[in-house]
Amino acid sequence: MKKYAKIFWDAVIPNNPVLIIAIGLCSVIAVSNSVKSALLMTFAFSMVQIPSNIIVSAMRKIIPYEIRVPIFVSVIAAFTTIAALLSRAYFSAIYEVIKLYILLVVVNCIIIGRAEAFAYSHNIAESFFDGAGMTIGYGLVLTVIAVVRELLGKGTIAGIQVLPESFKPALIMVLPPAGFLMIGILVGALETYLRRKKEVRK
Amino acid sequence: MKSTIKFAITLGIIGAVIGLALAVVWRITSPVIALQDQKALEEGLKAIFPGDYKFEKLNEPLKTTDPSGVIGDCFAVKSSNETEGLVVTITVPGSQAPIKLIVGVKKDGTISGVKILSLQETAGLGANADNPNYYVNKSDRITFTGQFSGKNIGKDPLEVKKDVIAITGATITSKAVTSAVKIAGNIAYNYLKGGQ
Repeated sequence: MKKYAKIFWDAVIPNNPVLIIAIGLCSVIAVSNSVKSALLMTFAFSMVQIPSNIIVSAMRKIIPYEIRVPIFVSVIAAFTTIAALLSRAYFSAIYEVIKLYILLVVVNCIIIGRAEAFAYSHNIAESFFDGAGMTIGYGLVLTVIAVVRELLGKGTIAGIQVLPESFKPALIMVLPPAGFLMIGILVGALETYLRRKKEVRK
Repeated sequence: MKSTIKFAITLGIIGAVIGLALAVVWRITSPVIALQDQKALEEGLKAIFPGDYKFEKLNEPLKTTDPSGVIGDCFAVKSSNETEGLVVTITVPGSQAPIKLIVGVKKDGTISGVKILSLQETAGLGANADNPNYYVNKSDRITFTGQFSGKNIGKDPLEVKKDVIAITGATITSKAVTSAVKIAGNIAYNYLKGGQ
């Protein structure tokens, strides 16, 4: 069990997909301007990341190395389509809100990155925990950025007015450039934290 | 050479399996989705034309000379046998993907309501066109599409910055929706004036 906990934790912080591996940045910038979209995106992401990790891991023995990438892409695209169809048919109210995000997941490079770097060389249980950890790591960064951007850009958090009405929101914070700013700040903060931790250990 | 054929076959089989899986899911979900779409359309019609009306689909959609909008299904709004108004489906290009909406017009040219059916604008900006909690007029709690209700096709200019309040940071979306309302409204009003 300890092994799985470590895989999970590794994916969340020391190997955080956004801040350390630095993939999937485009989706982070696109949807981190409100807390609600950040959470919905994380949910849509989990619906593809976890099954795709499991299937790639289950098929890893029969996928020839030379043609693994087209197979990963097909698996991911299939899960994205299935997730979109299922939620459209059975959760139409939710689908109305998350349809944009589900379609964005297909181009999220974290999923193909993990298929390649992890699921292709690990067993199903390990791949599941890696997928779950990646989802949490991704969602965490997305939410932290969204809280700051929404607060400064709209004066609200998750749609609830937090700052007084007299606060004049900075429109730049809800536009894409602020996503770059925030990612830069967080990368610096996490890197500093991890380095300090290493030095203490020495 | 031998391995190339092997790869082609492997890829072909995996592709076929995935295709089959998608076909099965599609088969199961498509009737449910069609039903949901139908329900959404009916709810949409009721929402922009509240009251005890019957909606009759016109056999032929109306035509427009304006190249920027594509007219879809039109519905005559009837109470007993009188035509009280017209609902027009229109699709216009948005900033990302086409925006589809329905516009309801009463006999006297008043817009009874506007509802967006599908839109894929930037989340947090253009997507606010369809956000029931985004108000262009905070004190009166009027949404972007809500502001069209009560405007008159013949009398109001229906232009952004004149009588239509734009969505912050989404000028293209605001203009696209406004022009769609104007095009659809004019067609509907002409049709209604023409009698029937």
